[in-house]
Amino acid sequence: MAIRRPELDRVFHALSHPARLAVVERLSRGPASVSELAEPFDMALPSFMQHLGVLESGGLVDSTKEGRVRTYRLAPTALAEAEGWLGAQRALWTGRLDRLDDYLLQLRDRAPDDEESP
Amino acid sequence: MIQRADGHRTGGAELPADHDPERDLVLERVVDVPPELVWKAWTRPEHLKEWFVPRPWSIAEVEIDLRPGGVFRVAMRNPEGEVMPSSPGCYLEVVENRRLVWTDALGPGYRPSAEPFFTAVVTMEPEGSGTRYVARAIHGDPEARAKHEEMGFYDGWGTVLDQMVEYVKTMG
Repeated sequence: MAIRRPELDRVFHALSHPARLAVVERLSRGPASVSELAEPFDMALPSFMQHLGVLESGGLVDSTKEGRVRTYRLAPTALAEAEGWLGAQRALWTGRLDRLDDYLLQLRDRAPDDEESP
Repeated sequence: MIQRADGHRTGGAELPADHDPERDLVLERVVDVPPELVWKAWTRPEHLKEWFVPRPWSIAEVEIDLRPGGVFRVAMRNPEGEVMPSSPGCYLEVVENRRLVWTDALGPGYRPSAEPFFTAVVTMEPEGSGTRYVARAIHGDPEARAKHEEMGFYDGWGTVLDQMVEYVKTMG
């Protein structure tokens, strides 16, 4: 069981599709236009726009339109808690303890020989 | 089972009276391993280096002298492979399987350090077959954050995003 905050659930949902995940990965390298984002996908444009809509309503991306070109970029608000010095520390500690918990379960599941006393 | 209630207390010990939500973090977890194992993970270099920084960062070096006044130093490697400068802190309290306190405000032998930033208090207690542990990060003046910015944690939020992407991928 994992207790999560709603905003993180929303973010995870927005990322829970390969196409949306790929878009986020692409945007993590910088802003891009719709056509640039759609290019790698063998997908009808309306379907692709739906995915962008999920990302946008999930607060993961923002878009702006200049002339005929709509440009998407990652939206810092989705990860607002990583902003500011305390948010950055929280991100550090959360990521750290996530790894710790995973590692502890790995240790537990290893052979007992690995858990000798000092 | 892992319960996560970071920053939103759902049980366990009360917050200390000096808790400052503007400057301090409290993270509480319940993990299904005994306290002895949690203690090892926090206090042995070979274990600590497996988890002490979020991916895609990694740990380059760990120095531990597990006694009050003993050194605690961790050098982190950024995703580009560069090892960040590290300043040694020291342990303040070492109570096996129960409580570990260290700070970067003092170096080995309690010598005051140049850039004090935080004190960490980790407590653990048995809960069922597992352990409830609480990690508190107590920070000084937020202006002291400059040092950590240099370490790279403050350069946007790429690390968090990377973790999330990785997490979502593992969800299948």
